[in-house]
Amino acid sequence: MPPSITKHWFLLALGSMLIANNAAAEISQDSWRRMNQNIVSQHILPGYEELLSQATRLELSTTQLCKAPTTENLETSRHEFRSTLAAWQGIQHITFGPIELLMRSYSIQFWPDKKNLTSKQLNKLLQAEDPDTLTDTAFQTASIAVKGLPAMERILFSDKAIELIQQSPFRCQLLHAISNYVKDQSEDTYREWQAFQTEFTYLESEEGQYESAQEASIDLLKSQIEPLEIIRDLKLIRPLGKQKAKTRRLESWRSQHSLQNIQINLQSLHHMYSGLEGANLYGLLKEQGAIDLANKIEQQFTELEHLIEGIPTPLEQHIHDEVVRNKLQMLAEGIERLGKYFETSMKHIQIQLGFNSRDGD
Amino acid sequence: MGINRRQFGALLATSLFAPQLFATQGKPLIASAAQNREGGHCLVMLNTVGQEIWSHPLPARAHHVEAHPVQPVIAVIGRRPETFIDILDYQQQRLIKRVYAEAGQHFYGHAVFSSDGRFLLSAENDITTGNGMISVRDVYHDYKIIGQFHSGGIGPHELKMMSDRKTLLVANGGILTHPDQGRAKLNLDSMQPSLAYIDLASGRVIEQVYMPEELQQLSIRHFDINPKDRVAIGLQYQGDKRDDVPLVAFHSRGEALRLVRAPAAVNSAMKQYCGSVRFDKSGEFVAISSPRGNLITFWAQGKSQYIDKISSRDGCGIARTYQPGEFLISTGRGHCYRYNLLRQEREKLSLTLNTPIAWDNHLLSFY
Repeated sequence: MPPSITKHWFLLALGSMLIANNAAAEISQDSWRRMNQNIVSQHILPGYEELLSQATRLELSTTQLCKAPTTENLETSRHEFRSTLAAWQGIQHITFGPIELLMRSYSIQFWPDKKNLTSKQLNKLLQAEDPDTLTDTAFQTASIAVKGLPAMERILFSDKAIELIQQSPFRCQLLHAISNYVKDQSEDTYREWQAFQTEFTYLESEEGQYESAQEASIDLLKSQIEPLEIIRDLKLIRPLGKQKAKTRRLESWRSQHSLQNIQINLQSLHHMYSGLEGANLYGLLKEQGAIDLANKIEQQFTELEHLIEGIPTPLEQHIHDEVVRNKLQMLAEGIERLGKYFETSMKHIQIQLGFNSRDGD
Repeated sequence: MGINRRQFGALLATSLFAPQLFATQGKPLIASAAQNREGGHCLVMLNTVGQEIWSHPLPARAHHVEAHPVQPVIAVIGRRPETFIDILDYQQQRLIKRVYAEAGQHFYGHAVFSSDGRFLLSAENDITTGNGMISVRDVYHDYKIIGQFHSGGIGPHELKMMSDRKTLLVANGGILTHPDQGRAKLNLDSMQPSLAYIDLASGRVIEQVYMPEELQQLSIRHFDINPKDRVAIGLQYQGDKRDDVPLVAFHSRGEALRLVRAPAAVNSAMKQYCGSVRFDKSGEFVAISSPRGNLITFWAQGKSQYIDKISSRDGCGIARTYQPGEFLISTGRGHCYRYNLLRQEREKLSLTLNTPIAWDNHLLSFY
C-alpha cells in the first residue's frame, strides 16, 4: 500500500475517533458549573428580582386603593396585579430551593383549585371582618388557598369590585394584607436565593447542598423540563375538556391572563434553554454532538411562540371557537413533543433526572 | 465463535470453582435491584469493599430483595404488575428458579421467607376481584404453591414476620390497580389502607388497624419491625399535593395507630412520600427515605419522635449495619452511603461497578 494512502486512512480513522470521542465525552464538572451559574445569575435571580419589584408595586398600589377607593386606583391595582402575575409566571418553573420552604410556592399561587377553596376561605374571612386575621401572625397559619394571587384576583376582578371595596374597607384591607404577604414571600425568596447561589459555585462539595456541579444541574434541568407537562395538562388539556371547554378551569380567567401565562411560561423556559450568555443547555447539547436535537428544541420553542401569537385573547371568550380549540390542541401536542425532545436530550448529556424520586412504588 | 473471557468467567462461576470464587470475591455487603444506562434491569451484589461481585439480569423491573434465613439464597421480587420472582443462589451465583405468579395474579414487589425458611410468602393481586392475596410457596419443593389467603385489603405491599415466628404483618396499601390499565390508581376516593396481622397457620386476620377516615388517602406501604414487635411505618399520600398530612406512623399490637410528623418544614420537604423504612441494629432508631424530597429522616421508636434528617439526592434504599444507629443508603444516582446517626458521620462508599447503575427502591444488607 502506498504510504500516502496509509496516511490518509490513518487521518480519517483519527478524525472519526475524535468525533466519536467528542460525542461520548464525559462532561466536566466545570462545564456543568458554568451552565449552572449562568442559569442562576442570568435567569433565576433576575426572575425573583422582577417578582419582588412587581409585588412591591402591587402592594403600594393596594395601599393607595384602600386610601382612595376610586375606579382609577382600582385600574392601577389591576394593572400591577397582572404585572406581578406575569413576573410569577416567568419564575414559577423553579420549584426547588427557597421557594419550596413551607409550601411557599403554593401559597403565592394556589392553583388549580378544583374545590374552589380560595373562594370559600376568602368569603369566610370577608364575612367575619375580623381585623386580627390581617396580621402577619394570622397569615402564617391561614389557609394557603387565601394567601396569594388567586385570592387577590377574586377581589380585584369581581364584577362590582369598586362598589364592594367602597362598601367594605375590610375587603380592601384584606386585599392589601395579601399583597403584603406576597411581597414578603417574594422578598424572602429573592434574599434566600442570593445566599443559595453559593451552592452553585462548587465543583465538588462534601458539606453543601450538592455533591457535585452535575448534581446541581439536575435540579435546574428538572425545572427546565418538568413544567412542560404541567402546562400542557393543567393549563391546556384540563380547561379544553373532552368535548366542551370548561372556561373556569383556565388559569387566571378572572384577570383574562390565561394565554399570556402560557406564553410567559414558554418564553421563560426558552430563555433558560438558549437565551443565556455563555454556557447554556443548547450549547452543551451541541458540544455533545446532539446538534440536530439541540436545534429541534430551539425550533420547537419558536414554533410554539408563533402559534400562541395567532390565538385570540381573552381565552375564555374564544376557547369555544372550533378554530381556537384546534390551535390550543396543537399547542398542547407541540408542548408534549418539546418535552419528549428534552427527555431524549438528557441521554446525550448522561443525565438521569430521577429514578426513585420519579417512579417509586 | 469462541468463548470470550467474560463468558469463560461466567462458566467458571457456575462450575466446580464456585466456592473458591466466592472466597476470593469477598463477603457480600448489599444486594439490590438496579437499572443500567440502557434501561436494562438487574440484581446487583457488592462485597464489603464495595466491589461488584455479581450482576444478574432480570426480565423486568424488580423491587424488594429478601434473604433466606438459612441458605445462601435471595428472592428478587418483580415490581407491580410483574409476574416473576427470581430465586438466586448468591454463592454459586446462579438462578435457582424463576417463580411465576399463578394465572390471573401478579406480584406487588414484596415477599418474605417464613421465619424457619420453609415458605416464601408473597403479596399479590387477584386481578379479577382486585383482592389482595398472600401466596405460600414451599421453598423445599420447587416453590410450589401450597396455599393462599386474603391479605385483609386491597394492594398488599410490604410484609414481614413478627417475632413469634407465626404471625405475618401485611401493609395493605389500599390502592386498586389493574394490569390492563398499567399502574393507574383506580379507587383513590374509596381506598382503605390498613395493617393486617395474619396468623400463618390459619390464614386469618387476627388484628387489623385502619387509617382514620379523614386520612383515607394515606397509603400504608412500607414498614419495619424491631425485635420487640414495634412497627415503624412510612406513608404515601394520594391526595392533593398541597395537603399537610403526617407521613410516619408507629404501631404495637393492641394499640391504636400512632401518626406522627416531622417539624413543619421537614414534613413538607418529605413531599408526601416515604420510600423505605428500616430499623437499626438496636431496634431503637428508624431511618425513612423520602426520595422525592431528596432526604432521609430519622426517628426514635421509644417516643415515636422525629430526631434528625440528612439530604440524599434520589436516595431510597435503606439497610442497617452491625452498628447501632448506623444505616446504609442507596440512591438512584448510583451512590451508596454509610450514615451513623449517633456520631452524625456520613461516608460515601467507594464503589467499583462494571457499568453505571441506578439503585432501585429497596436495599438488602447482609449484616
